[in-house]
Amino acid sequence: MHLLSIRDLVVKFRTHDGTVHAVNGVSFDLDEGETLGLVGESGCGKSVTNLAVMRLLPKPAGHIEGGEVVFQGQDLLRLDESEMRDLRGKEIAMIFQDPMTSLNPVLTIEEQMVETIRAHRRVSKSQARARSLELLTMVGIPKPETRLRNYPHQFSGGMRQRVMIAIALALEPKLLIADEPTTALDVTIQAQVLDLLQRLAADLGTAVILITHDLGVVAGMTSRLNVMYAGFVVESASTPDLFARPRHPYTVGLLHSMPRLDAQPGEPLIPIEGVPPDLRRAPVGCPFAPRCAWRLESCWTGMPSLEPIDQTAQIVTTGPNVTHRVACWNPATPDEAVAARPLREGFTPAAAPAEAVA
Amino acid sequence: MSGVTGQPAPGAAVGVASTGTEPGRPLLEITDLRMYFPISSGILISRHVGDVRAVDGVTLAIQKGETVGLVGESGCGKSTVGRTILRLYRPTSGRIVIDGQDITWAEGSTLRAMRRRMQMIFQDPYASLNPRMTAAGIVSEPLEIHGVGSSSERRERVRDLLATVGLDPDYGDRYPHEFSGGQRQRIGVARALALHPDLIVADEPISALDVSIQAQIINLMERLQGEFGLTYLFIAHDLSVVRHISDRIAVMYLGRLVETATSRELYDRPIHPYTVALLSAVPIPDPAIERKRRRIILTGDVPSPSDPPPGCHFHTRCWLRARLGNPERCVVEAPALRELASGHAVACHFAEEVDGSPEQVLQVTGEGMGGSSSRRADDSPTGRVAAAGPGLAT
Repeated sequence: MHLLSIRDLVVKFRTHDGTVHAVNGVSFDLDEGETLGLVGESGCGKSVTNLAVMRLLPKPAGHIEGGEVVFQGQDLLRLDESEMRDLRGKEIAMIFQDPMTSLNPVLTIEEQMVETIRAHRRVSKSQARARSLELLTMVGIPKPETRLRNYPHQFSGGMRQRVMIAIALALEPKLLIADEPTTALDVTIQAQVLDLLQRLAADLGTAVILITHDLGVVAGMTSRLNVMYAGFVVESASTPDLFARPRHPYTVGLLHSMPRLDAQPGEPLIPIEGVPPDLRRAPVGCPFAPRCAWRLESCWTGMPSLEPIDQTAQIVTTGPNVTHRVACWNPATPDEAVAARPLREGFTPAAAPAEAVA
Repeated sequence: MSGVTGQPAPGAAVGVASTGTEPGRPLLEITDLRMYFPISSGILISRHVGDVRAVDGVTLAIQKGETVGLVGESGCGKSTVGRTILRLYRPTSGRIVIDGQDITWAEGSTLRAMRRRMQMIFQDPYASLNPRMTAAGIVSEPLEIHGVGSSSERRERVRDLLATVGLDPDYGDRYPHEFSGGQRQRIGVARALALHPDLIVADEPISALDVSIQAQIINLMERLQGEFGLTYLFIAHDLSVVRHISDRIAVMYLGRLVETATSRELYDRPIHPYTVALLSAVPIPDPAIERKRRRIILTGDVPSPSDPPPGCHFHTRCWLRARLGNPERCVVEAPALRELASGHAVACHFAEEVDGSPEQVLQVTGEGMGGSSSRRADDSPTGRVAAAGPGLAT
């Protein structure tokens, strides 16, 4: 049994401007101790997927319209609020991009840590305080006795994120969801925090879902990757496999559009033309089709499901030998992935059908 | 103000030629620039109790047609340098010379005239465009302020500019909220181009954009530079982006430049311990490389610019100083930026001790300098070139 199994998750937001199709049938599994990266741009549904797991979607707009989120054999979508509250923090913890908005500004770090620990464990205040001290030391905060009595604003961004990690790991959760944990931090501080996160997760055997737009961060941090676009998982593979043999045109485009520190000087960037789709329109066909150089006529009408690139393969959904799967009618060949364009003689991307233009 | 009516479309030589630059002279020269922001305290009687030394003695020259990247972490003063150059602030001391003309203390009409030649592209395309003005109005505003052309000529020029940056000229009557982030940044670029500037200061122009859109804007800026002979000061925190777009890079830490070099040299042979650590911290999107890389993990945070450490500002976090047995000189004497190789200047007393080689980084991380034990590319370009090149090994 997997630690977490998400099946056909559909999330919509009902807003004044219409229904936003945020997550359109996402499925993936996660084993204990695994580190999974969810990569994609803003609006691709990577954060919403995880807020749905935590049942923390903004109310009243956010709705889980379908699917299952099975955690340790239990469908989280069927739990009532008090059962869910019991689980949050203890079994599944989350850290966010901006620690300032997730820490209470009018409580000291000690009050917040003791509160978290005592909400889930029957321990005395002094025991909880001792544990807090231990945690701050563990995440490398200097002078932890003094720092416990400080307020969040007295910490720098990197230190605040360390405090968040300390609180998140206080109860040794089975799963830690880290949503862009280092995006707000400088690169030298990012290196400190990622290093810490990786070390602690390995020590405690915590499974991690790392949500980020930064392919560099996931390359060093994760063992598996799901690439998301417009509410779909479009490609799923082990991290080395995905970087070495990307198949989905969007993944290929992402890898070519960011400058690499180790690129040859003068190597041109190949941008992905166009803009991400408007999620207020119900998806018809593949959402990447309008920007895709590989598109066929079928791409305008039908969204392909996530299928193994080797069709005879037995599908493995977790672990280092995970099956490389892609949701694409016309995936890039390895040569095309290197060239970042279709190389087939006479191939032109299929024109949009008349009604899609209108 | 004469000779500007009926300006040709961007790209035609006339507008640029009117501001001919003497060959060999840098377009922009800043010398020992300081920008302190006073901190005051007291309710009735405001006392000056200290300064935030955002820029603390920066010297930099930019040649015409060149792109200089200014990198550093948040709070290092890189944006303040850009804004002071455009004289959005009145500098505390130092000199700013554009094309031979000293504008350090320029005011009024002199300053306004100079500003035609220097424009800015801002980070946030949501905050830097007036939501109540149409795209055409935004792009046309600099032309109106400087009284360029008749209204019909301006209209024509705005359409040209929108087309130049890759927007449909017919979208001119739309408002900023009707555009995507990338399109908004294109409007910001068109506005910066409107007056045929020589120098464009781009302050984190792509960091607010989605990854797939960033490359579009970088490529646009590169194309425009080729077409119009623009000079860029490209300010950003992302070393990969800065390395891609810049001819030369200046690395800044706590208000001072610590290293300047061509972007190739800086990457192949970083010398300042801060640059070495910064480069080692940038993640590379390639798991095979990441697995083997070692990072120099700097301890602690950047000190406050209102109370910077004495001597070398970096000494509190410096891995090299720790290796050398914490020499006193770093604490008492601020290192000057000195040229170690042609075009490669470093502000470090012990620069000769650094070679940026993998062996050295391994030694550093292996000595428990708070380093990660897991990564370092033995085959990283840093390593390859440092090993093959002349090197400054001890």
